[in-house]
Amino acid sequence: MNRVKETLRGLVQPLLAVFIGLLAGAVAILIVGGNVVDTYAEMWKGAFGNFYFFTNTLARSTPIILAGLGVALAFRAGFFNMGAEGQMILGGLSAALTALYLPGPGWFVCIAAIVAGILAGGIWSLFAGWLDARFGMNLLITTLLLNYIAIYFGGYMVSYPFKDRTGSAAMAQTPMIDQSIWLPKLFQGMGLHAGFIIAIVAAILIYWFTHKTVTGYEIRMLGSNPSFATYGGVRRIRMMMLSMVISGGLAGLAGAGEVLGTQYRFLDGSLSSASYAWSGIMATLLARSHPLGTAVAAILLAALQTGAMGMERNTDVPLEVGSVIQAVLTLFVSAQIGYSFLKRRKEKKSNATTV
Amino acid sequence: MQQLFDAAMFGSTLRIMTPILLAALGGALCSRVGLFNVGLEGLVLIGAFSAIVGNYLFGNVLLAVLFSIIIVMLFSALFAFISINLKANAIVVGISLNFLAAGVTTFALRAIFDVKGAYYDKDMVGLPKWDIPLIKDIPWVGDVISGHSPLVYLGIVLVIALQFYLFKSVSGFRLRSVGENPIAAQSIGIKVRGIQYGAVLMCGVLCALAGAQLSLGQVTMFTEGMTAGRGFIALVATMLGQANPLGVLGSSVLFGFMEALSIRLQGFSLPTHFTLMLPYIVTLVAMFFFKDRTYAQDALKAGGSSR
Repeated sequence: MNRVKETLRGLVQPLLAVFIGLLAGAVAILIVGGNVVDTYAEMWKGAFGNFYFFTNTLARSTPIILAGLGVALAFRAGFFNMGAEGQMILGGLSAALTALYLPGPGWFVCIAAIVAGILAGGIWSLFAGWLDARFGMNLLITTLLLNYIAIYFGGYMVSYPFKDRTGSAAMAQTPMIDQSIWLPKLFQGMGLHAGFIIAIVAAILIYWFTHKTVTGYEIRMLGSNPSFATYGGVRRIRMMMLSMVISGGLAGLAGAGEVLGTQYRFLDGSLSSASYAWSGIMATLLARSHPLGTAVAAILLAALQTGAMGMERNTDVPLEVGSVIQAVLTLFVSAQIGYSFLKRRKEKKSNATTV
Repeated sequence: MQQLFDAAMFGSTLRIMTPILLAALGGALCSRVGLFNVGLEGLVLIGAFSAIVGNYLFGNVLLAVLFSIIIVMLFSALFAFISINLKANAIVVGISLNFLAAGVTTFALRAIFDVKGAYYDKDMVGLPKWDIPLIKDIPWVGDVISGHSPLVYLGIVLVIALQFYLFKSVSGFRLRSVGENPIAAQSIGIKVRGIQYGAVLMCGVLCALAGAQLSLGQVTMFTEGMTAGRGFIALVATMLGQANPLGVLGSSVLFGFMEALSIRLQGFSLPTHFTLMLPYIVTLVAMFFFKDRTYAQDALKAGGSSR
């Protein structure tokens, strides 16, 4: 019973944020002269209206879940890994190149490509972790900067050495991957592919890892109270490296999944323009870095995005309303408004210890 | 070599570094009061957009800049309220603020101008270019220093003003004490929250100016996400300059120079990907060489990384 109460209390916060987000969206809809109820109805239809739209939403949520899980794990350990985008791009690029040039049976190459994606993302992320641990270079900034380097590097690779020269020469992309290597679709004629199952399994595994294993406990402790963790014998640097590798590996997996399951090639800008990685970070912030919560929040954000697309098809309201809702939602969750805010109001106002 | 490093390149260095410098000075103020502002990127983006909107509404550049300042101050007040009053982690609030800025500007672009991606109007007048008398006639120096928008010169003036304010005035001393030790500062009667609010709002003003220089300084247009990481580079400039106005100027010059160089190198048939990558690589290398211990401790206090 207590547990139920606790869960409900934990839900107050995100639900309140969703409410504020929808309220902000309503204001935005009114500004452009739309009908709030109709617009939200169209949005709901665009995300969950029928089975095809629903699987579309789940397909879009797949990379968001994976990237979000990676960020969540790093957050849990107390690190701001802002580099999911770059890690995802390098993961996707490595997966595409492995799929194109590794000989062997389809299933084998597919697995190898996924592993290559995980490794590329993990190594790129580990590099940032190493710069921080070894040279004291702020992780938040290095991961951000490494994003741009990865984006331009990926762009170069598919504009020059590995460019597809068979079809229309205008596109910066690799050749198409052989069909035997593609991740299988879950339903005939739908966008949803096996990557979604991988994402859900990953969410459960990460939950199990952070909540049920000793290493996971140490990582969480490092995040919530670094000095106590070190005092208790947690090897900080090692844990940091470990969480960064897993974090980047998950982002790399997200990139590999998109390449092998949706696009079947690495197309310059396709991973960054959809801003899967940033949506993943939003999902993590919404769920306060809880792995299963991150998966749910990622599906919610994907629903907002696909819903906004459906809304734009059927109303005059621009789809950017979706990003306003997402942003307000994220901001107010970070604000920890609601339950904890009320609790704080009751406490004596203390001026100083704001930092 | 002669072709590469001509006066025009140093001129564009000055022009390019200005948004970075202005935003970084704002970041320096925030970090001096103990609030590490990751939202610079978003604030500059809102500044760039609202400057264009102001120009569209009033048809006057000065009013446009003022409008931009008011709008960005509203957003920085939001940052201040959430991180000071609601005690949220400033880094998380900053990240969310960047999301909000990206969302609000793309939405408003559609809602106000009914365009996607970019807004451009050929009749719109941007910031004026000032020719400095006497200096403009000196052969090489004139080409570099003269003929920029007023904000370029304002940026340099602000560096000196802020340096003086922070280290030579009583009020500046109080501001620094808030960041050093808020409890001690409060115990001697300094209004910690008030000073933090002041610094964050001032940061908003500086970010608005940075945005105005971006969108009205030379191109008179707005494109989605036109800050393209400049706010983050400004954050690094704050850090490298150890939140010292003069230091911030030095690192901004470095970044401005690298970007100007990378633009220039594109004319030399190098793949543009590498020239575009250059500023970010140099930033990384610069971070490697100019490590700031006190900053690392600040980050630790703020719950960041660099342990």
